[in-house]
Amino acid sequence: MAGTSPAMTLESVDLEDDWHEFSGFFGPNLPVAMDYYLQQLAIGLSLGMVYALMAIGFTLIFGVLNVVNFAHGEVYTIGAFTGLVVISAFAPPLIVVLLLVVAVGALAGVGLERIAFKPFRRFSDEASLKSRAMREATLMSSLAVSIVVREAVEIGFGSQFQTVPLDRLLNSPISLGPITIVSGDVIIFVVAALMLGGLQYVLKRTNVGLSIRAVSSNPLGAKYVGINTDRTIIWTFAVGSMMGAAAGILVGLYYGAIFPSMGFIPGIKAFVAMVMGGLSSIPGAVICALILGFSESIATIFVPSVWADMVAYGFLIVTLIFFPRGIFGGARDRV
Amino acid sequence: MSDRLRPLLVVAAVLVLVLGVVPAVLGAFDRSYLYQVANLALIFVLLAASMHLVTGVAGLLQLGHAAFYGVGAYTAALLTTEAGLSFGWTLPLAGLGAAFVAVLVALPTMRLVSIYFAVATLGIGQMLYLVMLNWVPVTKGPNGILVTSGLTLFGYDLSRPASAYFVVAVVTLASLWVIHRLSHSYYGNALRSLREDDQCADAMGLDTVRLKIESFAVSGFFAGIAGALWAHTAGYISPADFSFPQSILILAMVVVGGLGSLPGAVIGALVLILLPEVLRPVGDFRNIIVGGVLFFSILLMPKGIIGEVSALDLVRRQLGGAWRGEGTKAGSEVGWR
Repeated sequence: MAGTSPAMTLESVDLEDDWHEFSGFFGPNLPVAMDYYLQQLAIGLSLGMVYALMAIGFTLIFGVLNVVNFAHGEVYTIGAFTGLVVISAFAPPLIVVLLLVVAVGALAGVGLERIAFKPFRRFSDEASLKSRAMREATLMSSLAVSIVVREAVEIGFGSQFQTVPLDRLLNSPISLGPITIVSGDVIIFVVAALMLGGLQYVLKRTNVGLSIRAVSSNPLGAKYVGINTDRTIIWTFAVGSMMGAAAGILVGLYYGAIFPSMGFIPGIKAFVAMVMGGLSSIPGAVICALILGFSESIATIFVPSVWADMVAYGFLIVTLIFFPRGIFGGARDRV
Repeated sequence: MSDRLRPLLVVAAVLVLVLGVVPAVLGAFDRSYLYQVANLALIFVLLAASMHLVTGVAGLLQLGHAAFYGVGAYTAALLTTEAGLSFGWTLPLAGLGAAFVAVLVALPTMRLVSIYFAVATLGIGQMLYLVMLNWVPVTKGPNGILVTSGLTLFGYDLSRPASAYFVVAVVTLASLWVIHRLSHSYYGNALRSLREDDQCADAMGLDTVRLKIESFAVSGFFAGIAGALWAHTAGYISPADFSFPQSILILAMVVVGGLGSLPGAVIGALVLILLPEVLRPVGDFRNIIVGGVLFFSILLMPKGIIGEVSALDLVRRQLGGAWRGEGTKAGSEVGWR
């Protein structure tokens, strides 16, 4: 009777937090030195940056369409696998890998929008754009697409961890005063900071960004002043998915853990960050993602690392009960 | 056919089908695997029906339903293995345990609306999943729990595949009957009014918060019952059975079948459980096909296989009750009795 259950049809790999096992080496009971706190803070910073990259995709899309994109985690997975394929095919330098991954991520985002979101926008007035039926339909359709993508990746590559060439892992140690971090921490921080800065530039200074902000603040008004809503939505997906895909390959090379269902846990964390930040505020989402990253890596000092995920969900519940509009919800711009 | 006879015939037909034809067919093949698939299908019918009550009828998008299913399963499994209780005790206790957790969840989250409520249930579902996964001293963590004994009732051993199927079928049918009575009644209409406009319902004098918590508790209760059935029939439970993808699978059943439609939820559950089994020869591609079915059913049948309106019409005509007006005052002929 015992054995694999047919109920596990949607489950592929058990997600037992490979995400954290690297940040909790030392267990809860060792005497904790100041250096160790600093080290955890550095790890928390890169973790938070990754969540921020993911959360931006959620937030942009939620701002424009008022829907949750459940396939965002799969964009992250696609990013990681694209990077892996590129590396094993012709081993270019990291920057080329990143550019290719970002390009493929943008394509994935556009494809996702065409397949899972466009067919459900039958009417373009604001009421039906943000209606409940539309939200539930796209929630389920993005979910369906994410199942198909994950299974397709699993058929193509197998469900186990992929082997990343050792020399490509971002783990050469760097001594920084009293603490030791790895190169991945620095690279993730730099890349994420560049992308966040670039995003800010795009949103504030370019036509695409201005139209994204216009549509997310008022779709009908944006239409009246001649903005092509459809094209703006595609751009939103492209920009958001670029960030998600970049996060995927960075984390993949940082932890050396690339597998088909890798996008699930970071996807949920980014989702939590988005909700904490007030659902459609980008600065809010970034700040909350950083808070989340820091508190998780600090939490691993005090509790076994497997419980660190609890921090995110605890934050989520506390935010929802005490700040139902998000910590940065009402006060800021929608994007 | 008289109006009085028809509901009896419909009920009799369902009973004959589930308790007569299906076990006969299963008996003809006599493979325990087929019994397990049938049990699983019935359990998910019950899960989809319980989610139908809270998500379809009361309109509270619930993304953590599998957690209540898990609470029920772990309650039943632990009561069996640690306390040595038999099925007659574990089944109701599992339901009550899950209902209790559901009320605890509902009390702080009920004032949240729409997407915020959905997100809160997702978070709580994940928390309960983490507890199942990591509270190793009690739940045995990822290793899961073997439930080898316990499917006994009044001293009879019911653990043979055929008798286990009958237990699951009877419990599921009884639960479906209760959910049917709840969702196709004035009470169900009150819940529907919450979904359409809870401020208006409040103004009409309904205690909206209480109704929401009640529907959540009832839904949690039946999810817990389903969990107990799963623990006893599968013989082995592990946290992976109650993770987020399972919640989504249940939600998918309700949506594919038709939000707010009980027959739809039942059919949706049967489709999404049996389709992967039928497609087993296709091997690796079956989950892709399930994803495709989900996608196209949303695209092409946005109201679901049996939409709410036609489901209500169907239930009204086939199972009778409302609009008959006999023995009631002239003014009360509209609506459900």
